[in-house]
Amino acid sequence: MDLSNLTACELVQQISNGDLTATDCVEHFLDRIKNQDGSLNSFISTSDSAIQRAQEIDQRRASGKPVGPLAGLPIAIKDGICTAGQTTTAGSKMLENFVPPFDATVVNKLTDADAIVIGKTNMDEFAMGSSTETSHFNVTKNPWNDERVPGGSSGGSSACVAADLVPVSIGSDTGGSIRQPASFCGITGLKPTYGRVSRYGLIAFASSLDQIGPMTRTAADNAMVMSVISGHDSKDSTSAKKDVPDFSQSLDKPLKGIRIGICREHFEEGLDSQIEKSVKATISVLENLGAQTTDINLPHSQYAVATYYVVAPCEASSNLARYDGVRYTHRETANDLEQMYCQSRAEGFGDEVKKRIMLGTYALSSGYYDAYYLKASKVRRMIKQDYDQAFEKVDLILGPTTPTTAFKIGEHSKDALAMYLADIYTVSANLAGVPAISIPCGISDEGLPIGMQLQARSFDECSLLQAAHQFQTETDWHQRRPQR
Amino acid sequence: MPDSIDQATVEQVAKLARIHLSEQQLADSSKQLADVLNYISQLEQVELPPDVEPFFGATESVNAVRTDEVTPSVQRETILHNAPETDGEFYTVPPVFK
Repeated sequence: MDLSNLTACELVQQISNGDLTATDCVEHFLDRIKNQDGSLNSFISTSDSAIQRAQEIDQRRASGKPVGPLAGLPIAIKDGICTAGQTTTAGSKMLENFVPPFDATVVNKLTDADAIVIGKTNMDEFAMGSSTETSHFNVTKNPWNDERVPGGSSGGSSACVAADLVPVSIGSDTGGSIRQPASFCGITGLKPTYGRVSRYGLIAFASSLDQIGPMTRTAADNAMVMSVISGHDSKDSTSAKKDVPDFSQSLDKPLKGIRIGICREHFEEGLDSQIEKSVKATISVLENLGAQTTDINLPHSQYAVATYYVVAPCEASSNLARYDGVRYTHRETANDLEQMYCQSRAEGFGDEVKKRIMLGTYALSSGYYDAYYLKASKVRRMIKQDYDQAFEKVDLILGPTTPTTAFKIGEHSKDALAMYLADIYTVSANLAGVPAISIPCGISDEGLPIGMQLQARSFDECSLLQAAHQFQTETDWHQRRPQR
Repeated sequence: MPDSIDQATVEQVAKLARIHLSEQQLADSSKQLADVLNYISQLEQVELPPDVEPFFGATESVNAVRTDEVTPSVQRETILHNAPETDGEFYTVPPVFK
């Protein structure tokens, strides 16, 4: 039995049945990482205690004691999410040696469910990027083509799942950082509603946009993990006091009666023609499954990237002020305190991070607040109102996840705006706070995965996962694997 | 909304952000920031209804409070372990007064 061919749900089932031990399962994936990640570079570090944890779970099971719902399931965690006792770098030289004293709430919830953290994945520095090229720990390769980026910022988390190095990973999404890499690597990535999953222990980039979510092969795997990581947390006051449904329960419900809006603005200029064709082809699949489709408009979505590049840098400039050479590992020597701050930040941060801190500092500086932050926040209201109006007519919104397939490493290094536009279809969901999922829906002529995005009303992840699962019962795009 | 940025302004922003930049980096930043600001300036075209309220985020909680209960916290040594310089009890920094 090749464990790499099993879904996370199947692995959990096999371990629960006693057909597979947690130890064998963890050893299998650690071996794959050891043998294959040298060329891929999807992990920054692996866990020393994973096998011991697996043995403990096997012993508990053998002695008839209860185990958690994810018992024995190996999970990779984006390196911007704190793991107690294990280095957490956020892809930055600034945090190269940072060992968090506590676990993020998502990590706590996963380990309480007896999942096993197997390692920490590569990412753009402080999640600022769409390719993992800004990581201090080198770029991650796309498993489908090693000259291409895996997307970002959760590019390590998407590449390791696509290459079967781990069945599930956790990413974070501020403007598309789960969905865009999921699309580039041919996997299923969900950005939950803002507030659905606690952000406690997520190294902050832009606090009103950041959200943690699962990256998996299938929608069913995604639902299983969502049921574990969701819920209010007293340590994150922005987490929502909403009941957490069993996200797996509605997966098999037929799509009859579900109304899907096709977002016109997402099929205009700039969209790759192969992606357009693949995403349009999904419409008839969903209709055959019983969904009704209709055209809708999100007229202000054309301003989403511009709005994002005011809001996100403003929040980042404030959040990253804490890296001052005093509390977190990296310090440059200097003769006085202010020079120490300036030198430590100059050496500890990479170019993209410095640029965004500068941009945010500028936009928030005296005299510019109204023109930038306030104006952008008002446009953000219009973007949200577009969604409110659309969701009066439809339950889900369908479109492409990205305008292009995975681009080449270095292709956008001289043109930041081209890189920023990789998130053109994804940033609106973060600005409005609504949930969105990317699922595989095609392969391009160059052999690269194509993703489609579904968006839903706030806290209606159930409909997203249901539609994604139903689509995956009729298609096999999510089962395609890169030839490696 | 200005869509360009001169070098003196970049220098001032770098100072506010506490990031040392070399002469070359100052010149590069001036161009890079101008490119992004030029792109952002399209927000000027958006016609807003006069009464539109800004939207700062989708959180539903306002002034979330919780009971002030004393719980065990992380040991000082563990926290200080991540600091580049300490005297064993406190963070230490270079001189503040010249």
